[in-house]
Amino acid sequence: MKHGSSNQAVVIVVSLVLAIFVILSPGAAFNQQRQISSEEKRTRDAFEKRVKEYVKLRQSVARKNLPKLSADSTPEQIEVYKLAFQERIREARPNAKPGELFTPDIAGLIRGLIKAEFKGRERQELRQTVLEADTQGVPLRVNYVYPETKELTQIPPTLLLELPPLPQELRYRFVGRHLLLVDRENNVIVDYMLNALP
Amino acid sequence: MKRILLALFTITILTVNGFVQDYRFQSLSNRSATTSKASPIDLTLPVKNGSVRFAAIGDTGSGSRQQHEVAAMMLRYRQAFPFDFVLMLGDNLYGRERAQDYRNKFEDVYRPLLDSKVKFYATLGNHDQSNQRLYEHFNMDGKEYYRFKKGDVAFYALNSNYMDKTQLEWLEKELSKDNTKWKICFFHHPPYSSGKKHGSDDDLRKIVEPLFLKYRVNVVLAGHDHFYERIKPQNGIYYFVSGAGGKLRRGGVRPGSALTAKAFDRDLHFVLFEITGDELHFQAVTRLGQRVDSGALKLQQR
Repeated sequence: MKHGSSNQAVVIVVSLVLAIFVILSPGAAFNQQRQISSEEKRTRDAFEKRVKEYVKLRQSVARKNLPKLSADSTPEQIEVYKLAFQERIREARPNAKPGELFTPDIAGLIRGLIKAEFKGRERQELRQTVLEADTQGVPLRVNYVYPETKELTQIPPTLLLELPPLPQELRYRFVGRHLLLVDRENNVIVDYMLNALP
Repeated sequence: MKRILLALFTITILTVNGFVQDYRFQSLSNRSATTSKASPIDLTLPVKNGSVRFAAIGDTGSGSRQQHEVAAMMLRYRQAFPFDFVLMLGDNLYGRERAQDYRNKFEDVYRPLLDSKVKFYATLGNHDQSNQRLYEHFNMDGKEYYRFKKGDVAFYALNSNYMDKTQLEWLEKELSKDNTKWKICFFHHPPYSSGKKHGSDDDLRKIVEPLFLKYRVNVVLAGHDHFYERIKPQNGIYYFVSGAGGKLRRGGVRPGSALTAKAFDRDLHFVLFEITGDELHFQAVTRLGQRVDSGALKLQQR
């Protein structure tokens, strides 16, 4: 009995040491995960599903209609690909409307996340990063192209780690306080939500 | 009286159209070009056999005359310091990215270097479209973040504009198994900078610096702020800002910044690096060939 309780004590001490090590470990920052409620999980899963549907569609558009680009393409090949992709993806979603991916529930969740995770000085810095970017004139219109002449706002990494993850084909972009979903290869605005930043 | 009014009117119109400024600029750059052709190269780097030699440029893609002049000076220095490759620290193409923009803002500018088989390794800035990763001369292997190795040096090109979990996991995985003597990370947004406009990217630093420390990254190169700055070592890591290869923010450095080891914000520049054994030598050179900073840094014992 005495032996058993000393073993337990060792296990507890080792666990505590390990826990402290994990917490203090320098690489742990981006691996820490926040507990999420079942309702939030449902909302996130549903968003992920809609995102996957878009990706499936754009993959089929690319496969059927576009030449495959290699990692050593010429500027002409890149341009032809990009323009053709823009045209084809717009044709494939002729009736796309705002809010199809950013439905009210996920939009509300994102607004809440940003509000809860960025307070005081952090929120000020976030606003400064996002609002200093030259994005004036970017159309808040689904199926329009994000203009190349406009800056691609850096998404602060701590925020990116909080937002629902996206596949590599899509990017979050801020335009003022609004959050856009943009296709990284054809620059078409897939969806947007207003006033994501508090 | 009429003639005086006509002359005044003409001067006003020319000034408004920028002609007078252009003319003055042209005179200056012609004079500079003549001076730089005549002036000897002021090289402080050791140019040792078997060393890893490279240049770094940031915020280049303007297609401006000044960008051409920086490129011409790089070519001149390459005669004395034959570097094999160039790191591009982001904002490789400002504005539109049509085929002719790749030509005007990159290929035409660095044509002599490209023809000499100098390789360019690019990273993406906040003005760069993702499709640049597919461009033949940026050597990004179709990826927004990638690693390559030269001798005893591992280079990590990162996309600081979109540092998501997938990229961070990749970085940690690669760094954790990397036994290369020197590890250099390069990307666009500077974790430390004395820039008045942008300055240190605290949010990025909070996420990436722990990884740099944990896996013993030695050097970090960034751009974004349009000037040159060598940062005093931070937690043992050497940080450089080199963001004036094609655009300059004159007077952009916050004076008296505690971060600054050396800063220069009066002209465009590029930086040369040479790594040999346990030493990293560096030299920052202006568009006109002046040395603004140079020195040697020891491999950190950590």
